[in-house]
Amino acid sequence: MVERHIGLSIFCHVVLLIGAAAVCMPLYFAFVAGSLTVGEVQQVPFPLVPGSHFVENTVLAWNEGQFSRLYVNSLIVTIGIVTGKLAVSLIAGFAVTYFRFPFRMTAFWLIFISLMLPVEVRIIPTYEAVADAGGPLRALFDAIGLTGFIADRTGYRLDAALQWNMINSYGGLILPLIASASATFLFRQFFLTVPDELCEAAKLDGAGPLKFFWDVLLPLSRANIAALSIILFLYGWNQYLWPLLFTTEKAMATAMIGLKDLIPVADAQPAWNIAMAASFFVMAPPALVILLMQRWFTKGLVDSSK
Amino acid sequence: MPASNAIMIDREGAATRPRFPLRRSLGSLVRSSEAGLKASHFRRPWLAGGLVAPQLLILLFFFFIPTWKALSLAFVQVDPFGGTMIFVGLDNFTTLFSSPEYRDSAILTLWFTVVQCIATLVVAGLLAFATDNVMRGRAIYKGVILLPYAIAPAISGVLWAFLFNPTVGPLAQMLHELGFAWDPNRRPFDALLLVSVAAIWKHVCYDYIFLVAAFLAVPPSVMEAAAIDGARPVRRFLTVTLPMAAPTIFFLIVMNFVYGLFETFGIIDTVTRGGPAGSTNTLVYKVYQDGFRQLDLGSSAAQSVILMAIAVLFTFLQFRAVERKVNYQV
Amino acid sequence: MASTYVKSITGLFAAGALLMGATGAHAADRVKIEWWYAISGKLGDTVQQLISDFNKSQDKYEVVGTFKGNYEETMAAMVAAYRVNQQPAILQSAERGFMTMLNSGAVIPVDQLMAKQGYKTDWNDFIKPVAGFYIVNGKPAALPFNSSTPILWYNADAFRAAGFDAPSDTWQGLEKQLYALKEKKVTDCSMALPGDFQWSLIENYSAINNYPFATKANGYAGLDTEFTYNKTGVVGQVARLKKWVDDGVLKIAGQGVAPISLFTSGTCATIINSTASHSGVEADAKFKWSAAVMPHEEGADVRNGTIGGASLWAVKGKSEEVQAGVAAFFNFVAQPDTQEWWSKATGYVPVTNTAYRKMKAEGYFKDHPTREIAIEQLSRGEPTDNSRGFRFGNHNQSTAILIEEIQAVWTGKKTPQEALDNSVKRGNEILRQYEKLHAGK
Repeated sequence: MVERHIGLSIFCHVVLLIGAAAVCMPLYFAFVAGSLTVGEVQQVPFPLVPGSHFVENTVLAWNEGQFSRLYVNSLIVTIGIVTGKLAVSLIAGFAVTYFRFPFRMTAFWLIFISLMLPVEVRIIPTYEAVADAGGPLRALFDAIGLTGFIADRTGYRLDAALQWNMINSYGGLILPLIASASATFLFRQFFLTVPDELCEAAKLDGAGPLKFFWDVLLPLSRANIAALSIILFLYGWNQYLWPLLFTTEKAMATAMIGLKDLIPVADAQPAWNIAMAASFFVMAPPALVILLMQRWFTKGLVDSSK
Repeated sequence: MPASNAIMIDREGAATRPRFPLRRSLGSLVRSSEAGLKASHFRRPWLAGGLVAPQLLILLFFFFIPTWKALSLAFVQVDPFGGTMIFVGLDNFTTLFSSPEYRDSAILTLWFTVVQCIATLVVAGLLAFATDNVMRGRAIYKGVILLPYAIAPAISGVLWAFLFNPTVGPLAQMLHELGFAWDPNRRPFDALLLVSVAAIWKHVCYDYIFLVAAFLAVPPSVMEAAAIDGARPVRRFLTVTLPMAAPTIFFLIVMNFVYGLFETFGIIDTVTRGGPAGSTNTLVYKVYQDGFRQLDLGSSAAQSVILMAIAVLFTFLQFRAVERKVNYQV
Repeated sequence: MASTYVKSITGLFAAGALLMGATGAHAADRVKIEWWYAISGKLGDTVQQLISDFNKSQDKYEVVGTFKGNYEETMAAMVAAYRVNQQPAILQSAERGFMTMLNSGAVIPVDQLMAKQGYKTDWNDFIKPVAGFYIVNGKPAALPFNSSTPILWYNADAFRAAGFDAPSDTWQGLEKQLYALKEKKVTDCSMALPGDFQWSLIENYSAINNYPFATKANGYAGLDTEFTYNKTGVVGQVARLKKWVDDGVLKIAGQGVAPISLFTSGTCATIINSTASHSGVEADAKFKWSAAVMPHEEGADVRNGTIGGASLWAVKGKSEEVQAGVAAFFNFVAQPDTQEWWSKATGYVPVTNTAYRKMKAEGYFKDHPTREIAIEQLSRGEPTDNSRGFRFGNHNQSTAILIEEIQAVWTGKKTPQEALDNSVKRGNEILRQYEKLHAGK
């Protein structure tokens, strides 16, 4: 900052402290709940100080839910989603802002429209898409007669080969979740603020678009990529409905499903303490990602010559 | 200077030639228009196609085709297993429009989305401003404020519902002691307030991350220049930082809108279940209830079509109205 | 009955003998049978135990159980999977989804399956309201699995402090007692209102007092049924509950808490909740508690209560071997031993009379008297058209509407009569829609 205003500084600290307290307050109660016994967690009034059973509950929750395997699955799926989305959106955003081609705006709006439909409505047909990914292709080839053509000539059954079932696979868990426009939209916004002089300079140097992308745009986008990584990691990690639908084997379930499994339902004993304790270690990787990725904010942002 | 100085940069930061400004229409969707295109760009249609293809292909298989299948059910009544289906034309739509519950839900959704969008932005903006202006502890504050984003959605909803449960919730007891007759089970306003606060709380982190990034991206040189001109911190914020962060703010307005309109059903489900008496039953929650819970695929498809139309319309309007004012090239 | 027992034992031995020929049947050679169920936590663990017990008891089949979320999520998963031929062999589905499953064309009625596979199951052995809920043409279409009924839980210490030995068995009497509890400052909350109150306090209320819930024997006699509960004592019941809520005698549990914990923590003196809450109450209530049957209206023709919970369906589209395995598993589940173990471990009622009598003979109910209350309430008298159960298409939807309308009574927006009238109107639309779609079934 340029100069120091004590008054402003104090005001800001107060605001941030209130904000931090408001934000952490539910977390504190979750911690308290996770440190009680089953009987204690049901008592009224609810205790305001933690009990002594947190570690015990955590261990119990971990074993009961068999979280070691679930953790690995969640990590693989989430990292897949993050890298997939980043890669796909970066190049799509680049194409839509830096290239003039026919149907450019159409492409942008098509991508953007995918934000406009709630997931639950299309989740059942998306299941069909995952269980039978080759379906549309088979229908297409059938309609244009290609399948029959090939079968007559060579006896090769194209439609049998196009049976891709991605249920219970990592691909099935990752691919449907990569298809979203928020990252592309963000990169589009960011690329539009990049000064034109940089691109002109690159062109004068004889650099092609890909070289420009790799050497100039990507480094500039570091802060946004960092922010987006956090968002996407959390998005992928906290998914519940898609993995629930797309996995039938316990070995392929994710940590979030394991957590939901621990949350008490109507007829069961309200073991909230176990569920809350579990929520903390399920929350640990995203929290870690947040803390680590933070450094990228300060690092990549002192760009005096943007 | 670049050779292409016949091209002027106008307010939208896009390249224009001196022409009559009458083409801002739907035609711009199909024709290659200048909106959102860098002045200095490449002309390699095949390369561009290749770059945009992966996203479009994934969307084709996992969004457009399933969406088509889902929405085409808007014109039928169907048994969820697909065994029986009868074509009912526009019946699903007319039933919705003539149902007072649906109309109430639409109005509620409008209020909820707008309030949530503005409130989240304001709160996050305040926190980001404060983060930008403190000397020490930035990293700690950032880390702490971002933590709620890491919580599983299922858990956070339950936490809010519990904390403010009028019979057992600790914070509800506090409100009672302060004299408020807090009861989200019997007072629709309380329920709406609770759901809004829970939704804002969860989404503030999202806005916060991007605003912090945007504020930090303001070049120190510009800030110094403003300071030398005698501008005090708040004024600097309003006249320098905010305009420079405008592209991000526009992004966040749209994303907040999408969040409020589409992604809040999880919170509504755990905190109030759409109650009491439908007073927190937003359009998307109705879609979730009818389509996923009750398996009334025909009606929920019709509702989704309407919801999608509303969203597309509003976003289109936002792009037209707000984006003009966004200055991408400062 | 004994015949089933003998038949199944012989069947198992026969199967075992056959397999002895193919020595050491590998686990990999077993026929896999997928089962999607919807209960989690400790109950889910019990389900897994049941599965492994079955797998250990024979060599031919291996049931693989997967928890697929709550009842609605499991149903949605089933619907999605069925459309692409990925469905499981067995599905656990809530009693409310009965019509949806029955008319889906995706299931094999259980009696047909068992008969085809050569099992002689005595369907008359099932407790009447339990079996009656699932009966089509005299035989159950689904296998009752986890069945429960609501009972009145009460804090005996609190009642004694207010001068009562036990709750009254009429609503009028209970009202006096609950008000007394509050006035004498024994407790601030005399009763907690659970989230599924429409099941216990409206539907069960209607059945127990022998009021019709809808025409055509509550839907059993035809798809052209119409709701009639806005013309019966149900209106008075809603008005009574509203009065209790306004006076602070009845507290709405709301979201974020398991309603039963309001009772076990001692906050509220009574709650009308499922009998399956036994494990929770036994473990966590630190006061003297007991339970009783649900109260009835003074002077009413008292009948049985209706069930909640879920049943098991056999899903179509699987191979002969798998179907045989499904039948074997169902047979195992229906055994008195299994029923006894299941009921003790979970708190759900044993679904067959044989199992019930076995438990009684062993003196189980002497040690756990409250566990018998549910069965008492279910077996009371002959079920009438009004108390057999409910058979409505898309019952989920009309239930959600009923809850929403009654909530408008809590908020004061509508009177009980208005709310129930509107609920009947909207509910009938749902019924007509269903009738139109499934005309001729």
